[in-house]
Amino acid sequence: MDALVSKYGGSELDDLSILEEDEDEVTSSLPQSVSFILPPIDSPAKFLRAMTDDHTNPSAPIKLKHGTTTLAFKYQGGVIVCTDSRATQGSWIASQTVKKVIEINPYLLGTMAGGAADCQYWLTYLGMECRLHQLRHKRLISVAAASKILANLVYSYKGMGLSMGTMLTGVGHGGVFGLYYVDSDGNRVEGNLFCVGSGQTFAYGVLDRGYKWDLTDEEALELGRRSILAATHRDAYSGGYLNLYHIQKDGWVHHGFDDTNPVFWKQKLEKGEFQNVSTTLD
Amino acid sequence: MFIARSEYDRGINTFSPEGRLFQVEYSLEAIKLGSTAIGVATGYGVIIGVEKRVTSPLLEASSVEKIVEIDRHLGCAMSGLQADARSMIEHARVEAQNHTFHYGEPLRVESATQAICDLALRFGEGADGEESIMSRPFGVALLIAGYDQDGPQLYHAEPSGTFYRYDAKAIGSGSEGAQAELQNEYHSSLTLAEAENLVLKTLKQVMEEKLDSKNVQLASVTREKGFRIYTDAEMTEVVSRLN
Repeated sequence: MDALVSKYGGSELDDLSILEEDEDEVTSSLPQSVSFILPPIDSPAKFLRAMTDDHTNPSAPIKLKHGTTTLAFKYQGGVIVCTDSRATQGSWIASQTVKKVIEINPYLLGTMAGGAADCQYWLTYLGMECRLHQLRHKRLISVAAASKILANLVYSYKGMGLSMGTMLTGVGHGGVFGLYYVDSDGNRVEGNLFCVGSGQTFAYGVLDRGYKWDLTDEEALELGRRSILAATHRDAYSGGYLNLYHIQKDGWVHHGFDDTNPVFWKQKLEKGEFQNVSTTLD
Repeated sequence: MFIARSEYDRGINTFSPEGRLFQVEYSLEAIKLGSTAIGVATGYGVIIGVEKRVTSPLLEASSVEKIVEIDRHLGCAMSGLQADARSMIEHARVEAQNHTFHYGEPLRVESATQAICDLALRFGEGADGEESIMSRPFGVALLIAGYDQDGPQLYHAEPSGTFYRYDAKAIGSGSEGAQAELQNEYHSSLTLAEAENLVLKTLKQVMEEKLDSKNVQLASVTREKGFRIYTDAEMTEVVSRLN
């Protein structure tokens, strides 16, 4: 997002008239109930950067929730979604029990990374659009179409400070599984496997090692859980609980919200992993 | 009768000297040309039923859609100009979704009816700040069935924008005969199955064609299952029970 702000928060935005034009365009294309008004200052994007970018300004008053590990992958038996549950504001752990998987409807899930409020609000809004689509067309919306609604929506707010990196996944009409990565830059990418957040590299390490299309349901659930566990172990901004979901032909099933600590020790003591961690006090 | 109405029935925004709005009154006549629709509310849920006029053997009966879903807990049956109903139902659906989005609870049946009726009077030139959507009143009436914290409810909404709650109501071409029949047969302890029978029996009496499982459609709204249109198999079953 920082790259994005520097790109759009540049001098060309000093011209107030350009900004006002943008604002009109964006708000008029949305239903009245979801339009929002920009702050009455020269350049909202620049202002936001000054307030939130702790990279260049460590005393920035607003600290966005960036730390996270989330993952989703497709395999022969559907889609696995797993996340941690830690919310951080800088080095402060604000919560250990955040639900980072947003249940949009019984067929669609969205993961939360970046601004929690942005993800929560816009994925709920997306749920409403998906329901209207279903009523109007008498069939479930495809994941491709749902992710496109979200991507088009956030693109219309590009450069105005939205912060979200979400994986939208689920099952659409005819039992077709879909998995899309959508972020506030406007990217929308289809794929079989994604990890998002500050702990993504740790999760990728484990996930790539164990991933194959022909995983059984049990193996797939275990791989998702184990990948997030690795990230919670190495990434200080990830931790808390393992939130695990499995998407099947007839919708998603929740597979628990489990404390990482006993899972970690079980993994270490019973399977002999994490040998770097000592079990004695001396 | 038409002599007295001369001149004053042209404009949609002009009262007659007797204080009537003729175009609105005529729109109520348009409904009496439509196919019959019946709703019966019981303590267990609401049953709505419509007559489908299958005018040709080549017509695909399933494409005649006179009962539609508004939300999981709301449905409606229509009689009159079908096309007019589309924009009312779209409005109701958006209103129901917006309500859930903003308040995290389902839209109540009375509020849904109110939302539809708000649309009914937005014809003509349009007042300040309010966009007019139609040049004439709607030509369709709706029976809105739903379930909320107050239990199962049935509402009737007219093109005039008035609405009333009913235990049992018939609209459309056979409504007069049907309403009399409902008045005789309705009692407050009806079960859902008895309500299905009552709706079908009443439709059978007022329909020109012989009633079969193809030319009628039933739907129910219950607490457990929400709004549900009966499948072909279920229609065959309830119709055979009647005969």
